Amino acid sequence: MGSSSPIELEVASLLIETLHLEMAADEIDPTAPLFGDGLGLDSIDALEIALAISRRYGFELKSDDEQNHRIFASLRSLAGHVAKHRARPDAKV
Amino acid sequence: MSEGAASDSASAGLLPLTGRAAGEILFRRATGETVTRERFLLDVEATAERLPERGHALNLCSDRYRFLVAFAAVLVRGQVSLLSSDRTPHALEQLVAAYPEAYAIGDEADRLPLPGVEHAPLRLEERRRRPGAVPLVPARRIAAVVATSGSTGAPALHAKPWGALVACSEAAADRFGFSGPGTAASIVGTVPPQHMYGFETTVLLPLHAAVSSYAGSTFFPYDVVRALEAAPAPRVLVTTPLQIRTLLAAGQALPSLEAVISATAPLPVELAREAEAAWKTRVLEIFGATEVGSIASRRTVEGELWRAYRTVTLRPEGEEGAAVGVAHLPGEVLLADRVEVLDGGSFRLLGRRADLVKLAGKRASLAGLNAILCAIDGVEDGTFFAPDDLDTNAAARLSAFVVAPHRSEAEIAAALRARVEAPFLPRRVVKVPALPRNDVGKIVRAVLAELHRDAARRRRHPELS
Repeated sequence: MGSSSPIELEVASLLIETLHLEMAADEIDPTAPLFGDGLGLDSIDALEIALAISRRYGFELKSDDEQNHRIFASLRSLAGHVAKHRARPDAKV
Repeated sequence: MSEGAASDSASAGLLPLTGRAAGEILFRRATGETVTRERFLLDVEATAERLPERGHALNLCSDRYRFLVAFAAVLVRGQVSLLSSDRTPHALEQLVAAYPEAYAIGDEADRLPLPGVEHAPLRLEERRRRPGAVPLVPARRIAAVVATSGSTGAPALHAKPWGALVACSEAAADRFGFSGPGTAASIVGTVPPQHMYGFETTVLLPLHAAVSSYAGSTFFPYDVVRALEAAPAPRVLVTTPLQIRTLLAAGQALPSLEAVISATAPLPVELAREAEAAWKTRVLEIFGATEVGSIASRRTVEGELWRAYRTVTLRPEGEEGAAVGVAHLPGEVLLADRVEVLDGGSFRLLGRRADLVKLAGKRASLAGLNAILCAIDGVEDGTFFAPDDLDTNAAARLSAFVVAPHRSEAEIAAALRARVEAPFLPRRVVKVPALPRNDVGKIVRAVLAELHRDAARRRRHPELS
């Protein structure tokens, strides 16, 4: 299990809070798949995550982004996408 | 087709693939391109010519228009489409096991790892010629077999005669005002085409009602808003309670909506009221089940009574049950929900039966899930647990309690993932020394609920354990 960067821990906290997961932010392996074998999230969860991200970071996830399956592949890729696209980099989190 | 020819075909039990007139628009694609009846018929002809000579085709297309072309080509070739909204490998393997000669059809991106199943690619090419006559299909021909999770863990299969699908489209068109003269409505649907509600309302309806449907992706709120903006008025959003809630929470302005149609789960009246106010529209609900398709509708804010479609008959059966007859479906079907049948084709839902759980537009039997759990190697006893707020809290999920001294929670969760659809996976697997069973071996729910609360507390406060 790799160790998480600050942005990864921040996005992990958002996932835990949004999905009511019963774990701590540093318990989510940043490289494990979020869907399927890893956390076992489903499409309902993906919608909730998209909503939480748009509220917290001020940008929208969209289906026509061909990178989508890669964005949702792991906490690390999702956090990377957030870091790149957040509209309010200095927003209080 | 002239009136005379139509009635001759009908008396011979034949129904046209589409009742739309020449030049009418059936679909709008993500590129902005519109699909006329002629373009659709050409695509069906070209696709049908290339299909393998087999009896069954597993339709995996995620693009709604490509799904329709594959379905129609399979139909006119006299083959049967297999539909499963559950795309887990286990479910598809079980479905294909029931039809070993089946092939899969879809885009390269839709390809799924199914050992031994040939994948027929779907290619749409521009053909500059006039299509032949609209194909006529026997009303009794089985057009599709729709799979749902069964109570034993194996999929339940529901055969759909072409006549039943056409009758449902026509009844829905009448009910929602999509028939007769006037401007064709633009449907934007967010439900997968393989789901019975998505199949009927966003794929089949454009064949027989004055609507066009949107083919592109509509998963995230951003996608839905863009699709609606690109659609000509009058616009109709075909969606689910969950997506209504998400779209409202996203707080984005929507273009004018003629109506919102919701199905797959009961829509709370407060949410319907909020959506009607925010989007200045009517929020309508469809009631249905995979076995019978859509059978009734209501405007949620007007009350709890459902009005059955004109093609549907209902009669009380057993304790709080209803037997449903649908045009062109053989025999009656007992609804899985608890229902009070009233006069004049209306009814009231009394709630779900205790064994039934509904999540993400899918239905599962707790007994079936328990059978899967107990079949896992090393599990001596086990049960799923549905929290009390499962029907009202969109974030609520199942838990599982297991007696498995030599297996870890993670191992059990991993074994379930291969066999259970994601919405029904337990958020938490809790190992216990024994399940609380009473004198006759029945599990005591109150004790499970207490265990459930304890487990949640210990997770939040590890020092307590």
